[in-house]
Amino acid sequence: MHPVVDHKQGMSGQNPKLYLQIFKNTWSEIMTYRVNFLFWRIRMVMQMLVVYFLWNAFYANRTALFGYSREMMLTYVLLISIVRTIVLSTTTVDIGNKINQGDLSNYLVKPICFVCFYFSRDMADKLLNLICGIFEVGIFILILNPPLAFQPDLFVTSTFLVAAGIGAVLYFYFSLLIGFIGFWSTEVWAPRFLSLTIMEFFAGTLFPLDILPQSLYTISQVLPFHYFIYFPIKVYLGQLTQTEILAGLTVSVGWVILLLLLTRYIWSKGLKIYQAEGK
Amino acid sequence: MSISVAHLSKIYRIHKKAPGLLNSISSLFLRQYESIPAVKDISFTVQSGELIGFIGPNGAGKTTTLKCLSGLLYPTHGDIKVLGFNPFDRNKKFLQQIALVMGQKNQLWWDLPPMETFLLNKEIYEIDDLQFKKTLAQLTDLLDVSKLLSIQVRKLSLGERMKMELIAALIHSPKVLFLDEPTIGLDVVMQKKVRDFIGDYNKLHQSTILLTSHYMEDVRQLAQRVLVIDRGQILYDGTLTNLVNKYAKYKTISIVLDEHVDVQLFRQYGQIDSIDYPKVTIKVARGQTKATASALLQSLPINDLNIEEPDIEDIIRDVFSSSQQKPSRG
Repeated sequence: MHPVVDHKQGMSGQNPKLYLQIFKNTWSEIMTYRVNFLFWRIRMVMQMLVVYFLWNAFYANRTALFGYSREMMLTYVLLISIVRTIVLSTTTVDIGNKINQGDLSNYLVKPICFVCFYFSRDMADKLLNLICGIFEVGIFILILNPPLAFQPDLFVTSTFLVAAGIGAVLYFYFSLLIGFIGFWSTEVWAPRFLSLTIMEFFAGTLFPLDILPQSLYTISQVLPFHYFIYFPIKVYLGQLTQTEILAGLTVSVGWVILLLLLTRYIWSKGLKIYQAEGK
Repeated sequence: MSISVAHLSKIYRIHKKAPGLLNSISSLFLRQYESIPAVKDISFTVQSGELIGFIGPNGAGKTTTLKCLSGLLYPTHGDIKVLGFNPFDRNKKFLQQIALVMGQKNQLWWDLPPMETFLLNKEIYEIDDLQFKKTLAQLTDLLDVSKLLSIQVRKLSLGERMKMELIAALIHSPKVLFLDEPTIGLDVVMQKKVRDFIGDYNKLHQSTILLTSHYMEDVRQLAQRVLVIDRGQILYDGTLTNLVNKYAKYKTISIVLDEHVDVQLFRQYGQIDSIDYPKVTIKVARGQTKATASALLQSLPINDLNIEEPDIEDIIRDVFSSSQQKPSRG
């Protein structure tokens, strides 16, 4: 009956004061659950410590492993903690439930773009986590004074931040798509859990991907997860040529466009069968 | 005209799953769907400023209709125009002028004071500071909740929360308001307050209001016009008075006797409804109430006599049960 569905509603931008208020509300909400947030950060610190000491032990009487010097590897491992906060911090995990329980209706009856709402909510969440992440890693470095490789080139450092930013956008759309499963199924947790496990592995959250056997590394290269953690850190470490960086940025932007289009398509399909349940 | 609905149908496609683990596993591979028609070919129009009540049992299609009108559901068939817009397009100008309140759903941020939700809505609807202050003062005043604005939503009582939900929904002064069970779960005092507020709001702002409620009192007090809906079809569309005239075939005559009489005597006047000496009530066909009353007064020792309309609930129950006798289940 209605062939033309306006995708822009639910997808387009709005006034800046709105996003400021979303920031404010998100932070106040996190602060209501201070202990939750604190424990989450402790979990992240523990994860950092485990991976750090594990790798530190591997280098006990070696100077290089898998083509990584001790400094490079420890820098990679500590940077995971920082890049994680930028890329993998998200508030979108509850979207599947929101759809299932009909809470999505609250957004649909208002002149607000649902995706933008969650994007700015994520930004608030990421910023808070980033501040904590930098603080934690900073303390860690001050106490243990580990051998690290700092990137002296400002241009490379900025490219690293751009790559991490693209990774954040990529993960955002990826997480949205997983949430949109809620339009079709009530079992939203299992697919999210499984995809998270696969994603964490292929994103390089435990080790740099190029230490994997060639076949697995090739698989990782064709997945978007490659650009979540591994690629930005490789840029920072200065281990990629300019051509490789350019190619990586191009492919990751390509992924963004692809996931963006897919998200819009799935969203409009989902809304047509959305039942606004919850009674 | 504010709303027009033409031949609206909504068929839900439900994934059927038999209980049990084995069936759950087999349904992973072979999905069976069932089509459930929630609304079947309904049409009606609403003038701007009207307050309309939807009456119907659970699952009649009231909520589905409201959800189609507010753009949440994609209609299977039919055309809807609200303020000139097709709701499902979710045009920004359309969304800025409507609001939906669901008694069992909340839009308030659970962990924050209601004021934070209002401020967020202020930005969503792009309301300027002055207008926002004015509207908020007016609404909090009407609902008597100005002292509760900075208390965490989770700490408010159900009634207080419902009032806050209403404020959150009305802060942008919508032209069209959809209220789905706004008084559900509230005690009688709070129910009356919310009901009075809705009535006052409608008069004050000339906004179009569509209301569903299980409480007949809400509809009786508020709605100038009712839509009786059952099994996805409209059974009646008009004023409550006309509904009574059309469907109530009887009036009730209640009598208080002066002295004991053989109750069998009443049988010739009408159907005996209840006997609780000295009180007797009988049902009499509508056209004959006056004649019957005077005949009773002349022939029996009567202290007091009253002619009463039957309960609106009873009439509506009659309407539903007569519709259920039709083999129309599709």
